[in-house]
Amino acid sequence: MSGKAQTDMSHTDSAVSVSGVTKVFTQWQRDNTGRGLLRNLLKPEKRVITALDDLSFQVGKGEFVAYAGPNGAGKSTTMKVLSGMLLPSSGEISVLSMSPQKQRHALMKYLGVLFGNRTELWWDHPVIQSFEWKKVVWDIPDDMYKRNLDVVTELLDIGDLLKTFARELSLGQRMRADLAMLLLHSPMLILLDEPTLGLDVMAKRQMIGFLKELNKRDGTTIIVTSHDMDDLEEMARRILLISGGRITFDGDFASLRGELGNTKRALVSFSDGSRREIDYQDTRKLLRELADMEGVVDISFTQTSLEEGLVNLFAKWRQNGIADDQLT
Amino acid sequence: MADKITLRRVLRLLAISAKMDLVWLLRDTKFAMIGVLGDIISNLGTVAGIFLIAARFNGIGGMSADEVLFMMAYSTLVSGIFTTFGTGNNIHISRIIGRGQLEHLFIQPLPLGVQLATNGFSPFTSGKMLVGVALMAIAVSRLRLRISFLWVVALIAYLLTTMTIIVARSYLVSSMAFYAPVAMEEISNTAIEDAWLISTFPLSGMPAFIQIPLLTILPEGLVAWFPSLCLLGKPPLNLSPYYPMLFALFITLIAGYVFKRGLNYYVRKGANRYVPYGFRR
Repeated sequence: MSGKAQTDMSHTDSAVSVSGVTKVFTQWQRDNTGRGLLRNLLKPEKRVITALDDLSFQVGKGEFVAYAGPNGAGKSTTMKVLSGMLLPSSGEISVLSMSPQKQRHALMKYLGVLFGNRTELWWDHPVIQSFEWKKVVWDIPDDMYKRNLDVVTELLDIGDLLKTFARELSLGQRMRADLAMLLLHSPMLILLDEPTLGLDVMAKRQMIGFLKELNKRDGTTIIVTSHDMDDLEEMARRILLISGGRITFDGDFASLRGELGNTKRALVSFSDGSRREIDYQDTRKLLRELADMEGVVDISFTQTSLEEGLVNLFAKWRQNGIADDQLT
Repeated sequence: MADKITLRRVLRLLAISAKMDLVWLLRDTKFAMIGVLGDIISNLGTVAGIFLIAARFNGIGGMSADEVLFMMAYSTLVSGIFTTFGTGNNIHISRIIGRGQLEHLFIQPLPLGVQLATNGFSPFTSGKMLVGVALMAIAVSRLRLRISFLWVVALIAYLLTTMTIIVARSYLVSSMAFYAPVAMEEISNTAIEDAWLISTFPLSGMPAFIQIPLLTILPEGLVAWFPSLCLLGKPPLNLSPYYPMLFALFITLIAGYVFKRGLNYYVRKGANRYVPYGFRR
């Protein structure tokens, strides 16, 4: 990397800056009727999809940001645009003070990208072979490679996997090996698209713990997408909610719970063995209600999961369109 | 700014590909050797068929049996170079495009051209190269050719030219996979491998309406027949021996333009068809 780019990076606290980005796709539409086939030949029907709609947000250096939203909201498109795989239709993007589209080679030295549904490991080689391949392609200095290899081997517990062929790894093992490979060049920013996809509880805990440690210890900026809100809440401090290609919420998880409402729940047990769940917002009102109830033997309090609130929210967005439902 | 791509860096990239090829071979030597041997037998079979016809009828279309053997040796050498540098689908690029796997390349800190030129280098598992060298030695000996330094340079130049034409043609037809990924995933294989048999047939003695299209529209005549006759000092159809170089330049320019347009379309449109097999060996 040039001195200029390094200077640029040190001048700003922003790891990612997205400003007014729009990404429009065209989809071909077809039906299987005779008329449809004929129409397709003469004048194919197209549908315009706005995957990102004037999207704007900033992520500071050292932040751990969750990027969530319903299917088709634009999460993966954002990841691809940030990593230079896709060109936006319009708007400005800066990642580590570089343009992913114009300075892709330079940026990739400092960026790590991992999609949960694909692997960067060489399929028919032992894991360590893929690591050595990465060392050459990324031109990683010997000392950095050895240091990082030792760290990821220990923290991700992949010592036993290094000599195993990638095709023989379980999904959880493969994800750990992929994550380890991602970190060999000490990326300053990591983009993770569904990294916990398909992982069992143990593998998920291990992955989440490692990412939190990485962010805390090295100050690595992490942006992660997932459909699992509990995972995201455990990992990240800030959440960006996207829907219809636009940011609909930007804040911490406590604020999101506040915005969603109905986040507190009382579980009431009665002397006849029955139980009842009561979602509430006003505690005084709940206490009055409980005082009037007959046969209450136990009460426990909990929070409703974020997912429950978001399910309702996403459904509402789908019904009404996003414009009237933006939280921020 | 990106790292400068030096010759040393390119050699290191080729070396890691070669190392991976070697360890892949040594991983299971028995099956790898069977694969290489099968490759050699299949190649010798192709050569033997046409050579035996030429030997039985004292040549084909004005080419002697030994000249036919020389042409077959040239074709086998080309095929050997193809498999030596193109194992990772980097020449049959329509597979990578069609399967949405270019994104693996986009996240590497290297220009696309450097990645594609180096990541398919497999010098240890290409049996065809050995067959090609052996056949060339036999043909040269039977034809009693005087091998000078300039002749060797000419041979290398023609081999490079032929490879350029093949790669450019593959990239030209593969560009269709940017627009129709599912339908065109195998188009490079169809255009190059399936048409290879024509390129191993001696076109001497064929009417011009067959020869000329095979030197222009479907340039199979430039894969072995035309360059090998040039190397034997008999350029056909009164064409210049530099014609293959001119054609290579022409098709490279067209392929470069069309491929770049396709690539621009790809990064604007994106790939919604990711297939998680095939790119990585």
